[in-house]
Amino acid sequence: MKLGKRWSAPFIIMIIAGTVIPICSIVYYGFTSRKGGFTLSNITAMAEPEHLEALGLALLLALISTLVCLILAFPMAMILRESKYGKQGFMVFVFILPMWMNFLLRTMAWQVLLERNGVINSVLGAIGLPKQQLMNTPGAVVLGMVYDFLPFMILPIYNVVSKIDNHLIEAAYDLGADKAYVYRKVIIPLSVPGIVSGITMVFIPGLTTFVISNMLGGGKINLIGNIIEQEFTVNSNWYLGSGLSLVMMIFIIISMLLLAKFDKTGESSFI
Amino acid sequence: MSELIRLENISKSFEDTNVLNNINLTINENEFVTLLGPSGCGKTTTLRIIGGFVQPDSGRVYFDGKDITDLPPNKRNVNTVFQNYALFPHMTVGENIAFGLRVSGKPEQYIKDKIKYALNLVNLNGFENRRIDRMSGGQQQRIAMARAIVNEPRVLLLDEPLGALDLKLRQEMQYELVRLKNELGITFIYVTHDQEEALTMSDTVVVMNNGLIQQMGTPEEIYNEPENAFVADFIGDSNILSGRMVRDKLVNINGVDFPCIDGSDNGFLPGREVDVVIRPEDIDIVPPGQGILNGTIISKLFIGVHYEMLVKSETGSGFEWLLQNYDSYDVGEKIGMYVKPENIQIMHKPKSEAEQAIELDL
Ligand SMILES: Nc1ncnc2c1ncn2[C@@H]1O[C@H](COP(=O)(O)OP(=O)(O)O)[C@@H](O)[C@H]1O
Ligand SMILES: [Mg+2]
Repeated sequence: MKLGKRWSAPFIIMIIAGTVIPICSIVYYGFTSRKGGFTLSNITAMAEPEHLEALGLALLLALISTLVCLILAFPMAMILRESKYGKQGFMVFVFILPMWMNFLLRTMAWQVLLERNGVINSVLGAIGLPKQQLMNTPGAVVLGMVYDFLPFMILPIYNVVSKIDNHLIEAAYDLGADKAYVYRKVIIPLSVPGIVSGITMVFIPGLTTFVISNMLGGGKINLIGNIIEQEFTVNSNWYLGSGLSLVMMIFIIISMLLLAKFDKTGESSFI
Repeated sequence: MSELIRLENISKSFEDTNVLNNINLTINENEFVTLLGPSGCGKTTTLRIIGGFVQPDSGRVYFDGKDITDLPPNKRNVNTVFQNYALFPHMTVGENIAFGLRVSGKPEQYIKDKIKYALNLVNLNGFENRRIDRMSGGQQQRIAMARAIVNEPRVLLLDEPLGALDLKLRQEMQYELVRLKNELGITFIYVTHDQEEALTMSDTVVVMNNGLIQQMGTPEEIYNEPENAFVADFIGDSNILSGRMVRDKLVNINGVDFPCIDGSDNGFLPGREVDVVIRPEDIDIVPPGQGILNGTIISKLFIGVHYEMLVKSETGSGFEWLLQNYDSYDVGEKIGMYVKPENIQIMHKPKSEAEQAIELDL
């Protein structure tokens, strides 16, 4: 017991320095007005049309990205599961390879591809098609998010489906089920925990991102993440930035609780 | 009894290992057939070929006269009780049992009645709404049975279903399985490596080794008339020795002549090298000098109803005979041993691999 306590000390210090102090200062700034003194206006500022619009757009794009990631990741995880032993490790490696590259570099690569005079438009031009506005669209932001976050969806789902006992699937076939029925009643319900953590790991960073929307939205796509970032940097208004951050935090906690509940009850009632 | 399943010249290899070699097997309606053999001999593979989970490299599978070799498992009128039960962990007991019925779109009332009926049959009344992970191994085994039989299959495939249970429960379940089979009136194909289990429950035992069927017959035939040394050794304790036919109805074992009942009628020509099996309970103890050979008791063990003794023979190479007797004799005591001619089981020596190959070519 004593030994355990002594060893846990550095971690406790890290948690205090990395989590408790920042949260306390955000709470402090969030409830403090520019002139000093208590206020709720930093919190209620979320209801302003400009902020609501940014929140709505962020929600929409994060939802779409999460959905696209899920639709792509599930079949990929199943392919990984069914690939031959020995090959499996290599396949996982290929799928998560992009994760090892710097996040900014990856997003920048898409800039090069999508630009007005970028690779895609050059190819389109070469085959005689008109140039397309690809950059600075919501589509480009979704594309960037899907590309950046897809591995975070694949890994937890793969983790769960790779552990599904093959005998369960055989038993379902044995009892007369066809492939669609086996997926609907056995494979997908058993994958719920992986799907839920995948959704959490894509939806939350998607909801609060500002880097991807900055780089691929060119300042034209304003998400709630961009607004908060600008309050902290351009406007140096830590008070408003903290207030909006607090609202987002509560938003995220609520959605995580909902997901966790779904994880528990969902297994049996899924579809 | 009419034929229900026929395996015809089934062979199967995984990578480079031959798992099944030209298996031919006919299973009749309403029969309790057990595939018996040591681990890795190809029992599960045979069962999976019948269930449709493994495709044979060559050979055909017939069900009710129709070729089902290429039919997927969900189109076959057989159900499997898997070795690890394979119950769906995200469903209740009732939902597990209902799975097959829901697949085939049966009405809810019918499903409800059927769950009740099946739970009653396996002595688990009222367990519908329990979670699978709250059930013990024995209960899970019964649920797996119930889940299979509600679909009224013509054949139930069981892969070592009692393997994970403790001894007492296993013996109980052996009786239950036979009762169930008689009540349902369907065919059971049962896989086990436990010879006692096989002898207790089966109508027909198929002894397998190295992907070959060694012998097929009733439990009595398998026990009393093993066709080769492998079967004799695998089924029960025995004394297995090499011998040579002296003439009809006389075999020489370790320099001692034993009267027997086999001869050239069954292809055991004089001078032929043979394997001989004598069951330990078939050796009678008589006063020294009055039997066929004499020996000294070198160890004794009381194992319940009877004693098990090792007797070193005076003659020959000093072979140590395994004996079972209701009477106790002291270690060091000198005894005579007598074996009735009909209790001496003479078998052909296993063929060399070259001979086997020639036979397969024919
Ligand atoms: N899917 C498979 N891939 C490779 N080898 C297998 C496979 N299934 C079974 N085997 C091999 O085939 C042999 C027979 O297996 P099995 O039929 O399961 O034996 P048993 O049930 O009699 O113990 C074993 O050596 C096993 O390793
Ligand atoms: Mg097996």
